[in-house]
Amino acid sequence: MNYIYMIILKFINILLKLAGKQGGNVLGKIAKKLNPNFLKFFKIDCPVIAVTATNGKTSTNNCIAYTLEMAGYKVISNKQGNNMETGIISTLLKNSTITGKIKADYITFEVDESYVPKIFKIFRLDTLVVLNFFRDQLDRNGEVETLILKINEFLKTYTGNLVLNNDDPNVARLGQANPQNKNIYYYSVDKYQYATKTMTDAGEGKFCPFCKTRLEYEYYQYSHIGKFKCPKCDYGNNEIYKKAENVDLKNKTFEIEGIKYNINENSIYTIYNYVAVQSIMSIYNIETEIVLKAFSQFALNNGRLEKIQIKGIPTTINLAKNPTGANVSLRLLKEDEEEKELLFVLNDNIADGFDVSWIWDINFDKLSENKVTRIITAGTRYYDIAIRIKTSGFDPNKIIPCPDLEKAVKELYKTTTKKYVIANYTALQPIRKELLKYK
Amino acid sequence: MQELKILYLYPDILELYGDYGNIQVLQYRMEKRGIKCIIDKYSIGDEQPNFLEYDIVFAGGGADNEQSILAEDLVKYKENIKEAVQNGVFFLLICGAYQLFGKYYKGVEGNIIEGLDIFPYYTEAITDRKKRCIGNIVLEVELESNKKTKVIGFENHGGQTYNSLSPFGKVLYGNGNKFGDDKEGFFLGNVIATYLHGPLLSKNPELSDYIIKYCLDRKYNQNTELKQLEDTFEQQCRTQLLEKFLKKA
Ligand SMILES: [Zn+2]
Repeated sequence: MNYIYMIILKFINILLKLAGKQGGNVLGKIAKKLNPNFLKFFKIDCPVIAVTATNGKTSTNNCIAYTLEMAGYKVISNKQGNNMETGIISTLLKNSTITGKIKADYITFEVDESYVPKIFKIFRLDTLVVLNFFRDQLDRNGEVETLILKINEFLKTYTGNLVLNNDDPNVARLGQANPQNKNIYYYSVDKYQYATKTMTDAGEGKFCPFCKTRLEYEYYQYSHIGKFKCPKCDYGNNEIYKKAENVDLKNKTFEIEGIKYNINENSIYTIYNYVAVQSIMSIYNIETEIVLKAFSQFALNNGRLEKIQIKGIPTTINLAKNPTGANVSLRLLKEDEEEKELLFVLNDNIADGFDVSWIWDINFDKLSENKVTRIITAGTRYYDIAIRIKTSGFDPNKIIPCPDLEKAVKELYKTTTKKYVIANYTALQPIRKELLKYK
Repeated sequence: MQELKILYLYPDILELYGDYGNIQVLQYRMEKRGIKCIIDKYSIGDEQPNFLEYDIVFAGGGADNEQSILAEDLVKYKENIKEAVQNGVFFLLICGAYQLFGKYYKGVEGNIIEGLDIFPYYTEAITDRKKRCIGNIVLEVELESNKKTKVIGFENHGGQTYNSLSPFGKVLYGNGNKFGDDKEGFFLGNVIATYLHGPLLSKNPELSDYIIKYCLDRKYNQNTELKQLEDTFEQQCRTQLLEKFLKKA
């Protein structure tokens, strides 16, 4: 029966293509309607890698695919970020024969946190990478802890490679889900220049997940990511597989095992993602030369720390769908010593979560001290974000609420000051489009 | 210089939905009027605070699993807290804290977390974990007799709260204490206990000023006339959201 479905789906795919549509989730949705267990139908004999996290899934997954492709492999990946079951089925359908055979050297997926157990209960998985867990759209996903427990439950019987961020107490704990699994790889990043003694931004995981003792931190890199340890049961003290050292954000370099890597971003959180990718490449014996080259050339250009010139004015666009994402962007803006203006676009559509309370966990302190001269707010909740910024002490006369995106962009470029644009999930592509139109 | 002292309970545990914003709003509105705002924090392991020394006690919502850790801690101060409530100290309790001040919280598996038993209400988790009261919510509250005002917030709770004898407000849009309830929260002049995040005070300047005025009147034994603040963003935000939500109701 599945063969017939397959022919139908392939045909729909051709129609979609003719109509100029990407059809991100459409094929998968139809396939699931036809057969709820459609995932089982695919025949795969290459390694399957999956990335999950609250932040950084798309960039990391793309970087893995990019590096493997540079090594000369055929890679199938949901690069566009369709990371739920339907998106993954769509990606596979487009790349399979009518008999369900997938011809590739590697398959690499980004997977929504809540879909990891669901998908990989029926689909083979060889390597799972977990980057971080932050609070994210709480009204949609449920609390972070619930998510972690679900993944932990799934991992109890999982024996594949598990690549974990050892500096996130919410992630490193997963390494103990299955004591029989010997394929656990912890990665870490050494203390960087702006690390702090206390937590400066909102974070999770203050208590040891095993004995409930308050965790002790030697330092925080950002949010709750840092060097932690449980004083009672020693949780956190793992053998590190790969560690980034001598992080130099100014020159965009870091070292692993004495080898210096050049990258195109200058944010601490992307360094973590690169170490994760490097760990995977090492597991699959990809030559360091190739990884070095891939890292130095990789740039995602889809509104994730994207740098563009608009009418000659340097503009940085970054996605921020939760406090940590926004704090990372604001950190960059504060670390920049020049004068700048900010455009913050906040939507409250279904995919964003209806609750905008999270903007109060964003650290807007000291914006004027850090040479932010004007802020424009836009999106469906443009007043909420204006109130938030005003309450942080920023002069309300320098805040301009602007519901319409086109007008907001026009307003923003009335001056020639450097620009930073922060947008949440559904706001990102529309504002990016508006900005590019203005170019 | 006039000053008000806020005690912020468990800032590192009850901080799930940006509830700290309530304190930021209070501080902002006090300082704009030349009132000094002192914020003391208390969490597990800290020296015992004297609740009677404060003008405002604030606590927010937390993750379910952390709630039981702090219920055990909080109960040590039960008598002191009771006395502070009777003395007129203002209590602003959001979500998890709202539940903790009641008789008990009954979890999904039937486990009981004893509350402080200071107020008569109690909360029971709905057995279906997936079902929660989630969404924007609008209340009509009567802070002073015959003076009605609308309060806008966001609710997100699985717990269903029963026996709130004096609710905070009438629900115009959203759920309230239980699914489809017409009442929300608990109110006693110097106590506001509610499920509303947002944070609550960010979009409700009138409510913020009610709290500030109440505390100044009590502390300085006077009838305070609060200076009007520039609230253009807040008022426009309210207009925008009330139109959006109440049209749906
Ligand atoms: Zn421990």
